[in-house]
Amino acid sequence: MGVHVHIHKTHRVATDGKDMVQAEGNCVGECLEHLVKQHPGMKEALFDQKGNLRNIIEIYVNHESAYPDELKKTVREGDEIHLTFMLAGG
Amino acid sequence: MAFLTSPELERYDRQIRIAEIGKTGQEKLKKARVFIAGAGGLGSPISIYLAAAGVGAIRIVDRDRVDVSNLNRQVLHWNDDIGRAKADSALAKLSRLNPAIRMEAICDTIIPENVAQLVAGFDLIVDAMDNLPTRYLLNKTAIEKNIPFFHGAVHGFEGRATTVIPRKTACLRCMYRGPIPEETFPVIGVAPAVVGSIQATEVIKWIIGIGALLENRMLVYDGLAMRFTEFRIQRNPSCDHCSDSSGKD
Repeated sequence: MGVHVHIHKTHRVATDGKDMVQAEGNCVGECLEHLVKQHPGMKEALFDQKGNLRNIIEIYVNHESAYPDELKKTVREGDEIHLTFMLAGG
Repeated sequence: MAFLTSPELERYDRQIRIAEIGKTGQEKLKKARVFIAGAGGLGSPISIYLAAAGVGAIRIVDRDRVDVSNLNRQVLHWNDDIGRAKADSALAKLSRLNPAIRMEAICDTIIPENVAQLVAGFDLIVDAMDNLPTRYLLNKTAIEKNIPFFHGAVHGFEGRATTVIPRKTACLRCMYRGPIPEETFPVIGVAPAVVGSIQATEVIKWIIGIGALLENRMLVYDGLAMRFTEFRIQRNPSCDHCSDSSGKD
């Protein structure tokens, strides 16, 4: 069953249009690694060239902000991760 | 308290009938002074609904002139306004919408050197900007002045809103990780219409003191899925804007 990773619609071009992907891992970082293995295009969407999470990305676990140290946050079977991004438009 | 005149009682009758508003709430709206940063996609519905609701004094600030590409969403501005300062265009429309309120529009860029003066004397700041640096500047100013900050932003069919009560709730800067490249963002007018209306609702609720504000809550609107999702956010004890040690050496 794993962890449910909700994909923002701007990133779904990298997930074959899927709005949710199952991933395995004990923390957010491991789940995102598994997500990238399944959908390599998500790597560039989420991480910069140095491998750091892009500044624009926001991560929520079970609808709660995972900031700071998002990638280290522990997750359990059945948890939900939402990947979204900061908006600036007005 | 600002007592209501007979024309005002008639004008606002339908909202005075709302139990949570009543004459007392309407008097609070009349007495309120609201600062709106931006007269664009978000600033349009925010200012229209706050003016219509009878907020006593509104100052709206925008540096830009109306461009044809604004007209798909910035409903304060019409075809005849192309090339006109948005501040002037906004003032003309809002003054006609509700001549009884004190409406002021300023054509200027909000920068660190003038922000304190621009918001001086106002009860709250509504964030209707189109860029993050100015949003952060306004967020910081609101915290320094201990006045609430009503944030909203849009992209495409999507938007979000949260309400910041200084040193009580998470602020816009609490999840800051670093600068984000500016972009010409895609947007359809109905997105800022929804989000701007949410911001105006929050302002009205705060002024009157009713309802549950979007405190420590980021409300995300997805117009394509037609879904609202609520995320919980927390104050960052190390936030350089709102932590107890911020601003101290």
